[in-house]
Amino acid sequence: MNNPDVNKHVRGESIFIDDISLPAETLHCAVLDSAFAHAGLVSINTNRAEKMNGVIAVLTSKDIPGENQIGGIIQDETLLAVDEVKYIGEPLAIVLADSITNARKAAAYIDVEYKKLPVITDAREACKNGSLIQQPTIFESGDIDKAWGECDFVYEGRVETGGQEHLYLETQCAVAYPKEEDKLLVLSSTQHPTAVQRAISRVLGIPMSNIEVDVLRLGGAFGGKEDQATHWAVLSALGAHITRKPVKLVLPRYQDIRVTGKRHPYSSDYKIGLKKNGKIIAFEVIYYQNAGACADLSPAVLERTLFHVTNSYFIPNVRATGISCKTNLVPNTAFRGFGGPQAMFVVESALHDAAEKSGISYQTIQKSNLIKDGELFHYGQTCENSNALKCWEEAERLYDFIQIKKNVDEFNQKNKLVKKGFSIMPVCFGISFTSSFLNQASALVHIYTDGSIGVSTAAVEMGQGVNTKIKTIVAEKFSVSSDRIKIESTNTTRIANSSATAASSGADLNGNAVLLSCSNILERLKKSAAEELVTEDKSEIEFADEFVFVNGKKTELTWTKLVQKSYMKRINLSSHSFYATPEIYFDRTINKGRPFAYHVYGTALIVVELDCILGRYKLDTVKIVHDFGKSLHPKVDIGQVEGGLLQGIGWMTMEEIIYSQEGRLLSNSLSTYKVPDIYFTPQNIEVNFLEESINKFGPFNSKAIGEPPLMYGIGVYFAIRNAMKAYKKNLVMDYSAPLTPEKVLMNLFM
Amino acid sequence: MKEEKEKKEISRREFLGKAGTGVAGSYFILSSLKQAEAVAKENPLQPPETYFGNIQVQLTVNGVKHKVRVHTNTTLVELLRDRLSLTGTKVVCNHGECGGCTVVIDKKAVYSCQMLALDADGKDVTTIEGLLKGEELHKVQQAFIDKDGLQCGFCTPGQIMSAYALLLNNPDPSEEEIKTAMAGNICRCSAYPKIKESVAEAARLLKA
Ligand code: FES
Ligand code: FES
Repeated sequence: MNNPDVNKHVRGESIFIDDISLPAETLHCAVLDSAFAHAGLVSINTNRAEKMNGVIAVLTSKDIPGENQIGGIIQDETLLAVDEVKYIGEPLAIVLADSITNARKAAAYIDVEYKKLPVITDAREACKNGSLIQQPTIFESGDIDKAWGECDFVYEGRVETGGQEHLYLETQCAVAYPKEEDKLLVLSSTQHPTAVQRAISRVLGIPMSNIEVDVLRLGGAFGGKEDQATHWAVLSALGAHITRKPVKLVLPRYQDIRVTGKRHPYSSDYKIGLKKNGKIIAFEVIYYQNAGACADLSPAVLERTLFHVTNSYFIPNVRATGISCKTNLVPNTAFRGFGGPQAMFVVESALHDAAEKSGISYQTIQKSNLIKDGELFHYGQTCENSNALKCWEEAERLYDFIQIKKNVDEFNQKNKLVKKGFSIMPVCFGISFTSSFLNQASALVHIYTDGSIGVSTAAVEMGQGVNTKIKTIVAEKFSVSSDRIKIESTNTTRIANSSATAASSGADLNGNAVLLSCSNILERLKKSAAEELVTEDKSEIEFADEFVFVNGKKTELTWTKLVQKSYMKRINLSSHSFYATPEIYFDRTINKGRPFAYHVYGTALIVVELDCILGRYKLDTVKIVHDFGKSLHPKVDIGQVEGGLLQGIGWMTMEEIIYSQEGRLLSNSLSTYKVPDIYFTPQNIEVNFLEESINKFGPFNSKAIGEPPLMYGIGVYFAIRNAMKAYKKNLVMDYSAPLTPEKVLMNLFM
Repeated sequence: MKEEKEKKEISRREFLGKAGTGVAGSYFILSSLKQAEAVAKENPLQPPETYFGNIQVQLTVNGVKHKVRVHTNTTLVELLRDRLSLTGTKVVCNHGECGGCTVVIDKKAVYSCQMLALDADGKDVTTIEGLLKGEELHKVQQAFIDKDGLQCGFCTPGQIMSAYALLLNNPDPSEEEIKTAMAGNICRCSAYPKIKESVAEAARLLKA
């Protein structure tokens, strides 16, 4: 079964927010954002703007009827700045006008007087100045201070990873419609409709029940619309609430890049200790997270970093300190992997460094430390159903590591100026929101009297195929044609108090809730069928291919007939169900527990080819064995692996976020910020499914897919680095990503 | 039963095709809120002649001739989306950097955000909406479905138009030629491996 949206997409008929035809009276909203990274706001004068052609209203913080606050985890973010701006791009005012051109023109005529203040853009500097989002968090296991004494080798180092722009192709957008009294309907391109609803309620001072948030589909999100879609939806709601006219807000690309948060840059210090045989005994790390000016999701992102300190490895003694540093950059936010990739890059760097210095091979250290069943993760969870070694060995078997390494060595002997590099990247990623309470979802399934089926969940479709998966679940459970099934928009009036579609958990949580609803209805239908077919025992009833079967024998009773008969008998054909992931908990006072329902594993083999004169590299081979569980939809899942991989490679290689010292984003468009294009597709790409992986927490034994594959991209960094080493034996180089062609050249020749 | 369904959809499509003339939506808010009196004196239901601009262009879009007034700075994509309601063509960067707005003119893939509506005068433009024949998908569209060449779908119209332009000129492209032709279309979902396969498949389907 294909993605239900695919047909519309290829025809250009899918409706995204910017495509909706609007009532004639709709107002268009432009946002004025701060020109300075840190400044006092002396005054905002809207007089000139208000007189501009087509302008209906100019709103500032003074016009907010409720609380000027949209912070989620920590209440530290205003909707519109009041007396201080803390980053370039912070919203100051909105203009509502008859056309977007007039609105944007007028925004330039709002007179703002700033008084410049000192700017901090660096996380370590912020930490030194005591500018923190919250107190540092420490995860600890074993006895690290004692453990150093047991090590044969101890190495220390520093690791940097850069930010990453989401670059969802559909920019942030929303349309808000005023309804009767003070009610509102808000269409938002958000991963988290409930967060939007909650923030609007607070800012406008009206109850959540008066606000309906509806999401049809997103033109990409990748975490960038988990928390950061809220600002724009609330601004449009504010406009609609005050003018009582529909208000449309679509950020133009250049503004979207400037005003929205990105993946967090991290700067980290590590210390690693090993035995002569390659066993890792101790690992200590301090992460300086550049959070930007407000908390946004930074504390949660940092927490996931702390959970992924050891990637796929068992390390008995760990101390990891996470420091979320407040700087004058746009608040950084969720991005596929959510802090996990940053942690994994640090531990891989430490292993790679230890390998180079100790002479033990990198792959030996990696393989001999893969986590096994019964071993403890450093946060206290016992490893169960570990597929770390299984994936590695399956990849080794399928792709013949030894032969590939030999080929690379031979190539390098033959070629002077072009070198190949090889690496293996194992991944282990925990599945569940790390705030246990978020792991809940509900679903609403209706069967209509013509036998068609409507399904509502909290899952937001953003290209990851969650609706396809939910459709698959329903079709399989009811044994009906998928044509009967319609997945409804995500709407807060149908599904309340939802969690974001994030943490790779969309299909797990919502799929499980849908399963419960389907089971409820199925039970009732079976009973009804038993009555119709005069069978005593409803356990003899089964559904297959749109027909009712008794004891394995097909009857005349079709799905549609049964539904109609059941309706006439006043049988409830709808079900609303609730699912909460069982067995998970986490105690934040000791940072121990069982935060994850399960883990996703995988191993990637990577070969790159480096032109050592130009610094340019291309991806020769990426071959992956991935633990999908029992894939709900192999086509969708393969797409997710390939897409995640390429995003990860982009982050590690070409995507470079650069700020000036004044906190101004310099890589502010697609011409200065490079993302992978079709040329960046690995020449040979192969994805294989790990056989016989089971998972009782996923619908039909499936596993979450969205984030884990991104981290395969980390291996590309090490493959390039190994190719550099093949050219320059005495290469000394920081562990700093992205490893752009420019950086390659600098390190080879300077 | 099936036939009946098809008929209905075709008539809906015809309707969509014909009704696709955008309304000066935002004009009316002005009349209702601010300039009510001034406008009412003239003609309350009609925006002034120059509201959409004072230059007339004539162009053919998907086989339909249009005569429209535009401003000097109206871009082709604005004309398509805002005036002709052909919203399949997407605005992604509006700077000629991503290919999201690709349409085909004179067998060439063109970034419609980088062409002025004025320059489209007299031209024959094909957009994603113009590839369908009735309800029948164009082979390039079919290939993107078969090979799963999309995820969120936002870049898809642009990708398909670039592929369509390539295959108009080169029915049998090599892998390298496919990459060159598609390099101007960013897909952030990074469905590239499958996009590559889709274009190759489209070539195959078109030849068959
Ligand atoms: S929108 Fe025209 S090239 Fe990006
Ligand atoms: S499918 Fe999402 S950007 Fe290409």
